[in-house]
Amino acid sequence: MNANARTSVIGRPVPLVDGVEKVTGKAQYTADLNARDASVGRILRAPVSHGNILGIDTSRAEALDGVLAVITGQDCDKTFGVIPIAMNEYPMARGKIRYRGEPVAAVVAIDADTAERALELIDIDIEELVPCYTPAESRAPEAPLLHDNKPGNLEREVHHTFGNVADGFGEADLVREEAFDCAEINHAQMEPHAALAEYDPERERLTLHSVTQVPFYVHLTLARCLDMDSSRVRVVKPYVGGGFGARTETLNFEIIASLLARKVGGKVMMQLTREESFLTHRGRPATQVRLKIGLTRSGKITAVECDVVMSGGGYAGYGLVTILYAGALLQGLYDISNIKYDGYRVYTNTPPCGAMRGHGTVDVRHSFECLLDRMARELGLDPFAVRRANLLQAPLFTSNGLMVNSYGLGECLDKVEQASGWAERKGKLGKGRGLGMACSHYVSGAAKPVHWTGEPHAVVSMKLDFDGSVTVLTGASDIGQGSTTIVAMAAAEVMSIDLGRIRVVTNDSVITPKDNGSYSSRVTFMVGNAAIEAAKALREKLINAAAELLDVEPQDVECEAETFFVKGSSQSELPFHDVAIAALAKEGTITVKGTFSTPVEAQGGKHRGGAVGSTMGFSYAAQAVEVSVDEATGQVTVEKVWAALDCGYAINPLAVEGQIEGSVWMGMGQGLCEETHYINGLPAHANLTDYRFPTIAESPPIEVQIVESIDPLGPFGAKEAGEGALSGFPPALVNAVADAVGMDVNFLPVTPDRLLAALIKFRRANRRKEATK
Amino acid sequence: MTEAMPQFQLIEPSTVDEAVAALQDAPGAVLCAGGTDLVVQLRQGLSDPGTLVNLSGVAALSTVEETNKGLRVGAGVTLAEIAGMEAVANGYPAVAKAAQSVAGPSHREVATLGGNLCLDTRCVYFNQSHWWRKSNSFCLKNRGDICHVAPKGNRCRAAFSGDMAPALMVHGAEIEIAGANGVRRIALADFYHEDGAEHINLEPCEIVVAAHLPPPGPTSDYEKIRVRGSIDFPLAGVAVACNKLDDGTAQFTVAVTGTNSKPLLVELPGDLNAEEPNDAFFATLEKQVQKAVSPQRTTTIAPHYRRLSVSALTVRLAEGLL
Amino acid sequence: MKRIVSLKINGRTVEDVIPDNLLLIDFLRDRQALTGAKKGCDGGECGACTVLVDGRPRLSCITLTAKCGGADIETIEGQAQNGRLSALQRAFHENLGAQCGFCTPGMIIAAEGLLRENPDPDVNDIKAALGGNLCRCTGYVKIIKSVQAAAAEATQ
Repeated sequence: MNANARTSVIGRPVPLVDGVEKVTGKAQYTADLNARDASVGRILRAPVSHGNILGIDTSRAEALDGVLAVITGQDCDKTFGVIPIAMNEYPMARGKIRYRGEPVAAVVAIDADTAERALELIDIDIEELVPCYTPAESRAPEAPLLHDNKPGNLEREVHHTFGNVADGFGEADLVREEAFDCAEINHAQMEPHAALAEYDPERERLTLHSVTQVPFYVHLTLARCLDMDSSRVRVVKPYVGGGFGARTETLNFEIIASLLARKVGGKVMMQLTREESFLTHRGRPATQVRLKIGLTRSGKITAVECDVVMSGGGYAGYGLVTILYAGALLQGLYDISNIKYDGYRVYTNTPPCGAMRGHGTVDVRHSFECLLDRMARELGLDPFAVRRANLLQAPLFTSNGLMVNSYGLGECLDKVEQASGWAERKGKLGKGRGLGMACSHYVSGAAKPVHWTGEPHAVVSMKLDFDGSVTVLTGASDIGQGSTTIVAMAAAEVMSIDLGRIRVVTNDSVITPKDNGSYSSRVTFMVGNAAIEAAKALREKLINAAAELLDVEPQDVECEAETFFVKGSSQSELPFHDVAIAALAKEGTITVKGTFSTPVEAQGGKHRGGAVGSTMGFSYAAQAVEVSVDEATGQVTVEKVWAALDCGYAINPLAVEGQIEGSVWMGMGQGLCEETHYINGLPAHANLTDYRFPTIAESPPIEVQIVESIDPLGPFGAKEAGEGALSGFPPALVNAVADAVGMDVNFLPVTPDRLLAALIKFRRANRRKEATK
Repeated sequence: MTEAMPQFQLIEPSTVDEAVAALQDAPGAVLCAGGTDLVVQLRQGLSDPGTLVNLSGVAALSTVEETNKGLRVGAGVTLAEIAGMEAVANGYPAVAKAAQSVAGPSHREVATLGGNLCLDTRCVYFNQSHWWRKSNSFCLKNRGDICHVAPKGNRCRAAFSGDMAPALMVHGAEIEIAGANGVRRIALADFYHEDGAEHINLEPCEIVVAAHLPPPGPTSDYEKIRVRGSIDFPLAGVAVACNKLDDGTAQFTVAVTGTNSKPLLVELPGDLNAEEPNDAFFATLEKQVQKAVSPQRTTTIAPHYRRLSVSALTVRLAEGLL
Repeated sequence: MKRIVSLKINGRTVEDVIPDNLLLIDFLRDRQALTGAKKGCDGGECGACTVLVDGRPRLSCITLTAKCGGADIETIEGQAQNGRLSALQRAFHENLGAQCGFCTPGMIIAAEGLLRENPDPDVNDIKAALGGNLCRCTGYVKIIKSVQAAAAEATQ
């Protein structure tokens, strides 16, 4: 046996296999790629929120020395959009401008200086239209239409009812209804957008390196928008500096860079500023939630009615999925039979929203967990008790058809209750200090992809060659979450080989198998399963070769720590390399593949939109938050967070912890301080001092516990870990603030100015109440 | 490559006189010390001076002298140095605290006292990219002709956002200014005026060379309102100094930043007498601060909040100093 | 306006003709092919570009190269010795102080500046020293742990 081989790796903390590059500065992100021979691309952005383009004159810009080409909306008449039935965006506006900052033209020049000057020389003639900045403005009867085929500026409305809501409310002892207002937020991933496009006119081929989470979708979009055969397109994803959903669809600059590269027959580097990265947006929409819950005296939820309005921005993007998610994931966390959901995704003259970590669910979950807490308080029930009164009994299907095979929420509640000292400390921390809690969940990949082809959801291939090394090929996009490491660990575990023997090659469309990309927490579940299947196939070939060498039947051969031997015998051990050579002797270089397809029963209800929210398994989370509130300034300080998440099985506990900490913290940003601000459609937040995501200074300790419910379909029993805990933070925060100051707030984020204003109103109301007594 | 920077020549004088001469030689030249604010402005196209006069090499600006007349801190002394100086921490706690609260640690390594005192005013309509400002028809402070914060007014409302000035002001600091005609000294409070487009009283070719603090006397404190624990400019900030007399009287001095186009010495309702109930005094103090400040819509955080929170902070600091 | 600057980068003397307006980050990334320092913002807001200038952390995206003549500059690329990770690099790697890795070079350099001055920092010292370095992935929990681990290793 090879005693040094790290072959039993799952369930142990493993540093990222691509981590050394990150700490040494060797990791190459898109903007780090060699662009010495590239020209510089820049985008001209619309100065108005809503308008008709009457004309664009690029002649002065084209005449400027050093300018290689200028393009406008006239250079691309193909729409794009991630949802095949909702592609209504052009890479550069044609005819109509729908938000301030929308690309209207682009320049490629010999250097940045020249490109900047060229932008100043492009003349646009615009007829301004009345802008609609809020859903109320957009839905007003006299509002101008952003898209002619969308009456009422409604991108999508959803009306779903499951069970009997009226009867449900009839059974309730307490019915309460409240409205919540959640601000728009942005991913603000650390890496600004960038793309490096190269066009080879001799062979009519395009290569794009980009910051994407979804190289496959980018590939399809480039072929479509550039009207190229997809075989002539190559998309490579280098290291990516975070995504959080910002890059789960093709973005306009990726197409524009490619159009420019083709126009000049060369290489174009397009680096967006931080401001432009904010303008590209695709963040979580401003969401208004009206929620009604019925509870029995013992805390059982009898019915739920929820009305959601999302301010979606100027284009469709993921919008219809977002508004469907918001309703679908009302279910799957608690046992609720009677639900009515009405959702409205509204077009507004602001940058388009999209998918962001916890896609669609966060603001609704926030509202739900806040209202549930308040009703429990009214009934004299403990917040943990009211949640325990509504636990699901897995396995089951929810009334909207979601499959739940594993369910560790009860255990999450136990762990958080204990760790936070809830029973002893809740309500006893004194004035200005409080504890709050909430639960949440999220899908492990959408059971039906947005681009449905019938193919398997994930394919992983592996190669074993003369040197005894194993190369894993995957299109899974590691954006920092550690998916490459998971793939390597799965292969090492199944084959019982050392991690160091494995190299993972990722995200180059000419080399790696297609993958749908990193979104909806699909990668560990789907790609992990595909990697296991591929590794099993390779292992089988090696076992067969070893069986021949050992002169026994394959089923009698065991493989452990890079060594093959006859079961129950320690004699005639064969080292890995010898077996590999024997296997290769039969067929030469060995390639195998594994796939993963989602089971039909996981694909959701039969109702329209029923696929959204469907998944193979949900992660479950509970968390408690302790805050102190400065009642003079309205400043909330998060003192500590206790979180527990059921990820099925922690293949890499180090990464799982990191994901939980990161998602809890991102929920804290949304809860405390993150929001976009538009002044007549101009972003007042488009930098990292005005878009205030938390610094290390005010970030609290986060104590994480992992719950393992072992999902029957998950790879080694695993489910997702990177999103489920996010949506629990904002409500736990608001519930903690209520504990601290005795006041409920219905807005996000709980910024000092909002909280102080609310406190002043609250005190005034209390004084009036006192006076009238 | 970063977005295009404007072209300029960097002049590197080694004495104050050379620096003054450099300013005289190149009309429109701009002084550059740590550059933590200026370079951002250059990158945003808010400044295109043609000539930058680098003060980093002027050794005379980086000295600190402690005498019986007090403390003289050179304008080129960095905020990190000030935050770490024992003489400052002991004698002028608000100054040390203000220095420690500016931006982030790497900024403070190079940002200077002079730079922070001369910090340009800030506004949500001004500190934006060229595209942003152009789309909004620019503004009174830069290439435009109206103030978007107060369109009916006739001046720029951008807010002074330096942390150092109020802390120095409550200790009665003066600043020393060098120019072609020699050196002058004025009270720091008189250095500023209430116009966001032209908030400091510096004649052409003048340079702030030092701040003078009188010998230690009152205790003091500084605190700023911000959303995050680091990096943020003050939405409002307040320095309070307290001089406790033997008869039990407490004399307070209060200066506020972030609320107006200049740092503001707040007129107080008198001293706190030993016989007077503290609550009444502090209630008046709070009202007085609320009345004195006039925050505008220069940030994304509501002006009213900045007024209320800074007055509450004032009382908290004052109570803490008793 | 151009000039010749001579400075040390990771121990090697470099001489180059540069325009006065060249930012240190562009000098490092475009001219020296040292792309470890990152641009995460439009100027001085995120810390991803942090390098050491004469041993102290500086934001290279708002530093003029022309002001760095004679300076000793250290970047993330100079931290490993003979291919072996520095204590901080190893700690960040092993404790998952880096997820996407984009803020990591700046974060490690800022932490390096701290540890050289204060080899045994407590949590508040670490928070103060890294207050200008934003991270969007980790919630900072494992970053603090990484710095503590590196400090513990060094003081052993």
